[in-house]
Amino acid sequence: LGAGQSIQQTYDLTRYLEHQLRTLAGTYLNYLGPPFNEPDFNPPRLARAERVPSATVDLDLWRGLTDNARLAANYRAYSRLLCYLRVLDGQVGTAELRHRLAHFCASLQGLVLSIGGVMSSLGYPLPAGPAGPPAPPGAPAAPNDFLKKMDDFWLLKELQIWLWRSAKDFNRLKKKVPPAVVTLRLEARGF
Amino acid sequence: DSHIQYERVGADVTMKCGSMDWDAAVTWTANGTDIDESHLNGSYLILKNVDLSQSGQYSCYEGSSWHLKYQTYLRVGTPPKEPVLMCRSNNYPKGFYCSWHLPTPTYIPNSFNISVIHGTKDMVCEKDAVPKNRCHIRLLQLFSTVKYKVTLTVTNALGKNFTTLTFDEFAIVKPDPPESVVAKPVPNNPRRLEVSWQNPSSWPDPESFPLKFFLRYRPLILDQWQHVELSDGTSHTITDAYAGKEYIIQVAAKDTDIGTWSDWSVAVHATPWTEEPKHLTTEAQITETTSASTSSFMAPPTTKICDKGAVVGS
Repeated sequence: LGAGQSIQQTYDLTRYLEHQLRTLAGTYLNYLGPPFNEPDFNPPRLARAERVPSATVDLDLWRGLTDNARLAANYRAYSRLLCYLRVLDGQVGTAELRHRLAHFCASLQGLVLSIGGVMSSLGYPLPAGPAGPPAPPGAPAAPNDFLKKMDDFWLLKELQIWLWRSAKDFNRLKKKVPPAVVTLRLEARGF
Repeated sequence: DSHIQYERVGADVTMKCGSMDWDAAVTWTANGTDIDESHLNGSYLILKNVDLSQSGQYSCYEGSSWHLKYQTYLRVGTPPKEPVLMCRSNNYPKGFYCSWHLPTPTYIPNSFNISVIHGTKDMVCEKDAVPKNRCHIRLLQLFSTVKYKVTLTVTNALGKNFTTLTFDEFAIVKPDPPESVVAKPVPNNPRRLEVSWQNPSSWPDPESFPLKFFLRYRPLILDQWQHVELSDGTSHTITDAYAGKEYIIQVAAKDTDIGTWSDWSVAVHATPWTEEPKHLTTEAQITETTSASTSSFMAPPTTKICDKGAVVGS
């Protein structure tokens, strides 16, 4: 795949994941129950939740990112988000939700690989760190169930916003590296 | 001493004549008109259950010398109710604005104070000169999971009230409607209309933050809209228009990922191309034209007006 097609594919996958997460997050927050599934729930972000990579970025800084830096930020973020999501996946009580989380994790893994593919096609090195997502940091688990749910709440919210950010990131890249024009080799016979 | 005195609608108001004793002889006027003695208790003026019409200038003169001893401007009004506050970003990611109004008038001057907090950070809300009940906040960070908290406090001489809004950055993104909507017939295509429009000029960076569009159209003779969503580009060709029928067309816009749809654009009207009637020289042509024009009133085979093969205009 050329870089352009690779970026387009990554963009489409991001949009797909964004859509998937919207329903998955709704189901999961209902699984967590009130107050986590209430629209106005606005909990403080505790130290543990700060470890989840934040999509928040200064506007001018974001605009000025080089393509390499932009892709690397995405690659690192999803690698770590995937790792947290897998921890989540292993603890869910209902089979249906576990299945959907597992499917989402697989798609997210696909996104990490896709971003890696784009970087390679543009000649950029993959960010340092183990090939797969890094193991979850050794911090102690949440001391109680409510704080555990709080961590899950922030993970899903951060993931949602990363996907929005990535859609904008890949949209910018799409415009800088349009898909290569497909040349149809016409065997001209008798013209 | 002359000053402004604020009182609530329905209140009982007592005014003393400055430093004059209770039993001093005085005259009270309201806007220059003498007030009946029935409203006096000694030299005090008593106004029961005041209403808005009793706002005005009240003056007290010493009985014999007609020396002005006291003057006040009475403003009758109400304390503010909880203000209505709305915040929206029509120029994402530049910032967002908040605007407010009071659900009911207070009839006396009010002052508004707005505070915008993002996590632990206080943000400046730059007030517009006009309209006065609006201010703008510049977004310094994007893609934040931390909600914005906006608190509007309204104060007047009779009381105070406030309202608070808490929202995520992406929840208030709502572009303005698309602009310069144009609809044109397509020559030699009796069932096509070409529609084009522009991004709202208030949307600062359509390159980085592309908009998608929603087009709705219907012939004037029908109430049912047809819709089509367009993920990019600012034009579309309608290919299933009813021949010869005038259409009304509108467009709405939304960020491709976040926020809500804009209001509908201004409506434009257009009628698909129709064949010019030929100039008649012989009777044959007249007959030919008559039959041709009748058939043109026949509903196109793919009509959806009703299922029983209704004939338009018959």
